[in-house]
Amino acid sequence: MTAPSQVDPVFLARRRWARVGWIYGTLLFIGTLFIGTLYVAFITSLKDDPLEQPFRFLFPQLSPRNWAAAWQLGQAGARDPWLGGFAPGAEVPFTVTYFVPEGREAIPPEVRIPRRKPGAGLGAVREGPYAADYAEVSPVEEVARRPGTYRGQAGTFVRYRFTVRYVGDGPRIERLPADLEVPRGQRFVEATLAPNRIERRGRVASWDNLTPGFLGYVFHNYVRVFREARSLSTGESLFWRWTLNSFYIAFFTVIGNLLFGSMAGYALARLRFPGRHALFLFMLFSMMVPFQVIFISNYLVLRDGIFGLTRLFGLETLLNHPWGVIVPGIVGSSSVFIMKQFFESIPKEIEEAALIDGATPFQTFFRVVLPISTPALGALTILTFQGSWNSFFWPLVVLTSPQDVFTLPVGLLAFRQAYGVAGDWGLILAGAFLSMIPIVVLFVVFQRYFVEGVSFSGLKG
Amino acid sequence: MHRRTEALYALGFLAPYLSVLGVFFLYAFLRTVYFSFTQYDLFHAPEWVGFQNYAALFREDLFLRALRNTLFYSFFVTVVQTFLALVLAAILNTKIRGVTFFRTVYYLPSILSSAAATLIFIWVFQRRGFLNYALGWLEAHAPILLTFLGLFLLFQLVQVAWERRLGLPVHLFDPALATASLVLALALTWFLVALGVLAPREGIEVKTVWLNTRREWLGVPIPLWSIIIMNIYTTIPTFMLIFLAGLQDIPKTIYEAAAIDGATPVQQFFKITVPLLRPVIFLVVTMSLIGTLQLFDQVALIGNAAPLESTITLAYYVYNSVFPSGATPKVGFGAGAALVLALLTLAVVLLQRRFGISERGY
Repeated sequence: MTAPSQVDPVFLARRRWARVGWIYGTLLFIGTLFIGTLYVAFITSLKDDPLEQPFRFLFPQLSPRNWAAAWQLGQAGARDPWLGGFAPGAEVPFTVTYFVPEGREAIPPEVRIPRRKPGAGLGAVREGPYAADYAEVSPVEEVARRPGTYRGQAGTFVRYRFTVRYVGDGPRIERLPADLEVPRGQRFVEATLAPNRIERRGRVASWDNLTPGFLGYVFHNYVRVFREARSLSTGESLFWRWTLNSFYIAFFTVIGNLLFGSMAGYALARLRFPGRHALFLFMLFSMMVPFQVIFISNYLVLRDGIFGLTRLFGLETLLNHPWGVIVPGIVGSSSVFIMKQFFESIPKEIEEAALIDGATPFQTFFRVVLPISTPALGALTILTFQGSWNSFFWPLVVLTSPQDVFTLPVGLLAFRQAYGVAGDWGLILAGAFLSMIPIVVLFVVFQRYFVEGVSFSGLKG
Repeated sequence: MHRRTEALYALGFLAPYLSVLGVFFLYAFLRTVYFSFTQYDLFHAPEWVGFQNYAALFREDLFLRALRNTLFYSFFVTVVQTFLALVLAAILNTKIRGVTFFRTVYYLPSILSSAAATLIFIWVFQRRGFLNYALGWLEAHAPILLTFLGLFLLFQLVQVAWERRLGLPVHLFDPALATASLVLALALTWFLVALGVLAPREGIEVKTVWLNTRREWLGVPIPLWSIIIMNIYTTIPTFMLIFLAGLQDIPKTIYEAAAIDGATPVQQFFKITVPLLRPVIFLVVTMSLIGTLQLFDQVALIGNAAPLESTITLAYYVYNSVFPSGATPKVGFGAGAALVLALLTLAVVLLQRRFGISERGY
């Protein structure tokens, strides 16, 4: 091989640049694989038919024209451009264009406001007021006509207009579904808002909601997540309840792990007591044992209210109670471990000064050590929050009924069981993405801590 | 400070942790051992049966299935994801601008909850889901893709031969020449498609059933393969970050010296990176084995969308024995299986202690 000094410098530079290019290319490719899956799942959560084949990357919910139309129709229907609806005083103008092939007579479409339930699964159970009982459709009038060709066929484009009014006074209704039917031969071309489905060989164009509002159109599955699943006892949104439960549990788990974890970690790192080494080894052992090994007894302990102790707080049992999830995880061995490692890394002199001044270990710990431990506490907060927010197994064991007590991951399983069979994946995916928001926000803000958390837990093996 | 006072303070500091550890770990562990020797249904008092549960377990089909699935899953996923994470880390370890951005992006999938990630993947694996669509697209465009690949290799070979004749020391996959070949191949393929010489194949639809099937591939149920794919995908980034931390400790000069001696990136990877990272690799392998042995969430979320025996793992077997749907709980079986799981985990840890810790790469 030729020695590098003899090689043309341009050749070497060219090679270096090209290598950088290939590295970026590879990085982009792998990144596309990772994020691409999330992206296709995300746009699918906006679709009407999440299992459509072939898969479309562009569809009505992604078109700005429909966004604007949905906004205006929501305004017309309920003076709510975001979520739309159908409220007293509504006057919804709508135009639709059909193609009539040559030799056929143009017949205006027949407009119907059907009594349609808002979907499969949990939503099918709920009985609400129907727009059909309050809506009045004006006669369909022709506004324009022009000759042209459509898919290679000569004929006429006919444009119609009609108005849907809310008659009299009544409740505000969430949705205004509509079906437009034309005789065979005529074809639907376009409308103020793109329809959700074209059925019966193109004869029926069907809208789930003529007055959706921006969010109600683009994020209709997300709106359904909140609207459809409702508590049987209180009627409030289950998904909202689950989110609150998850936050409640995560909050107290984090507080417990920060406080008790750092206390125990400090004792293990700094104080001398008999059995210290044995306790440390036992702690490592407890970190390795799978959760499934200890859950049977823990379940029974919680069922009996921790040896009856919870009766002091008026609770017979901790099953189906958020504290049943919190208590066994209120101080985890890994939190103690992380804090112990951290305390061992800070210089002893800081505390010794306080101890010589006559402060007790408690005072030293709370006044001197904890205030300088913010980096470790920050990493531990993120790690614990993430663990608690994402945890699935233990909440699944403890929280079984009613659905009001679920956490988000358990609730997602309930969604999957209720909607999966019907193939209503839009709503399931929407729920999954909604449940990710807090973690993703945390990740974006505290990225550094996440990465540190990994290297912390990397120490534990 | 007096010894005894210090010990008392320590007890004060440790009290909350010790009570949780005592009740929810030690007591729980001992009780599981006890339950494994009893017949117990959660409602009536446990009845001592000695080793009967264990004897019955190792004759039960479902348990053996669970054991086999778990072992294969754990082994396969660990090998593949460790290797891929290491390769990815080696790529990301290059000193180029914007590498932090890619690190962030790659890490994203692994912070998501297993529930959310699994639901997304169950959708991907539907019969009319995205995976089948993507496979169908690839199959339909195979003629174009293969032509493109062939042209790329052809251009590359011609160029390399040409440069070598000029006496330049080009490697077979010289990046600069590869870029030229890529552009040329792209242009020519595009031209052929525009001319209509090449066209995607029509009427190709992939309808593989990924979840609700009893079919097997290489003796492993297809649904288990689906879980394997999904978990490799979500765990790679975490391990990649650990490897990256380790890679940054390796002096750059070693690579530079190797490059001067004419080592290719692939040679550098196997001859420098892998040996020097051995302690970290051991750590990652152990973490991965422990984690994968406990596979539960994905199995539970897939639920009855796949036949139970093709996805069941030890962890799920334990849960299913204690909370079977519409049957009497068999806590003794569950406890026995749980202890088998614990033993497996312990074996992994002991192996790592035996081989991993004392190893120092350099």
